[in-house]
Amino acid sequence: MSIATAPRARALPLPIGLSAPARYLRTVKFLLPFIILVGIWWAVELAGNFPERVLVSPARVWDTLIVLSEHGVLAEYISTSLSMVGFATLISLAIGVPVGFVVGSNRYAARSLEGFLRFLQGVSGIAWLPLVIIWCGFTHTTTLVVVIYTLIVPIIFNTMVGVRAVPEYYALALRSLGASRLRLITNVYLPGALPSIVVGVRLGMGYGWRALIAAEMLVRQGGLGDLIFGARTSGQIDRIFVGMILIGTLYVIVDRLLIQPIENLTVARWGVLRK
Amino acid sequence: MSVEPIKIGRTAGRALSRLSWRFVPAAPFLIVLLIWIVLWEVLHPSKETLPSVHDVVSTIHDLAVSGMLAQNVAASLGRLVLGSLFGIVSGVVAGFVVGLNRNIAEMFNPIVVFFNAISGIVWLPLMMTWVGIGTVLIVFLIWNTVFFIVFQNTVLGVQMVPEVLEQGVRSLGASRLETLRTVTLPGALPYILTGIRSGLGFGWRALIAAELVGAASGLGTMIFNAAEYHRSDIIISGCLIIGIIAMIMDRWLLLPIERRTVQRWGLVSDAEEER
Repeated sequence: MSIATAPRARALPLPIGLSAPARYLRTVKFLLPFIILVGIWWAVELAGNFPERVLVSPARVWDTLIVLSEHGVLAEYISTSLSMVGFATLISLAIGVPVGFVVGSNRYAARSLEGFLRFLQGVSGIAWLPLVIIWCGFTHTTTLVVVIYTLIVPIIFNTMVGVRAVPEYYALALRSLGASRLRLITNVYLPGALPSIVVGVRLGMGYGWRALIAAEMLVRQGGLGDLIFGARTSGQIDRIFVGMILIGTLYVIVDRLLIQPIENLTVARWGVLRK
Repeated sequence: MSVEPIKIGRTAGRALSRLSWRFVPAAPFLIVLLIWIVLWEVLHPSKETLPSVHDVVSTIHDLAVSGMLAQNVAASLGRLVLGSLFGIVSGVVAGFVVGLNRNIAEMFNPIVVFFNAISGIVWLPLMMTWVGIGTVLIVFLIWNTVFFIVFQNTVLGVQMVPEVLEQGVRSLGASRLETLRTVTLPGALPYILTGIRSGLGFGWRALIAAELVGAASGLGTMIFNAAEYHRSDIIISGCLIIGIIAMIMDRWLLLPIERRTVQRWGLVSDAEEER
């Protein structure tokens, strides 16, 4: 349960200056495995002659996707989930980063909190869900609490690690030149800890997104988790497929197009990531 | 392994600071306990909202004596072991195949990214319709969670082994299999073990989430059923036990194994950073 190290996928090389055919080839290479997968799915569906409650064809899933999005239902489910993650991330950052800073600046506090954070992470947010449901009912607040709980632990932890990784003599050097404490934070500790904080956010989003889906399944107040779990009770397997594809695609988009670029930027600007 | 500083005098002060250093990790737990006690004394909430510390302790005692606890822990751990075993074996094997072959790695990458994004709990509704509630469902979800983490780490580990080493051993007359066994496997082992360690952490979390609705026994089921009767003492007991098991597993089982492997086959400095 190492908090600081994420299994980091290797970044794809940037397609700068690729000629048109090369870019075309890249697209094909990217899509080919998915095309094969859908082909297999379709073949199995045709060969097996499954009842509609068990397996439907890709075409059917596509139709459902179109119908759902035309009615605006899909947009509502998606916006519920995304705004929940967005809110939770903002709140976790607003609380987690300052806490991480305070704790990281004292080695006793850092040591004491480390074990506690590991314990909290061992009890996943979703395990607290039944208790939070008793406290807050089947509401958005419940989901939000669970997601924040999940998100905030890696953010505090990585902020703490990032602050502790900044060599002390940087701060000492600036202080001897007459810098104020605030100046130290904005010019030394924040830039120094930023790469680690971004890693924490990325990890937290990975945990948080799953916790969100799980919480939505049980709280049933909208969101993509509600979509797929509700579809199960009514036996609409096409909706489950639509939901799963959306959950995967949205996560990849958020992770690859939003967080990874920020991570690359901070690392490029403020130095090498410490493992 | 830090070198003990030579100390002359001030031994008592040092001993004291070393003692407090040893016990600081307990501080946050004590603080939370204190807040809990004070909150309870001040508010006197109903037992459904917040049980007293005494209630929770006696509930844990009752659960342990009645054998319910052992039964649920055994059910959960059994599933974790089974699912993780499948996940580790398939993850390592697939990781070697993909890691050794750059073309296959490139081809599978998009699909791995997508399925990694929906690994674990997202499969719950679909698998519930396919295999129903029970051990098969939970084991599948754990396998799915553990597989991707172990797989990604194995691929990374295999790719990190310098090809020169493999070629060196081969040029001395070793067969391909022998090279794999004596060079690539030990070289990748530290990564694989890191993968297994964080995979089990994820697996444990996925297990609890899945058991909330997908099983008839286990710790997750225990706390979710308790919510229906508003037995918050059982929920809190359950969460504490979940956290303790996760910690024992990580600190006393997986971390030592990982550390030993890293010391034997990897960079020793990595092991120290983990401390």
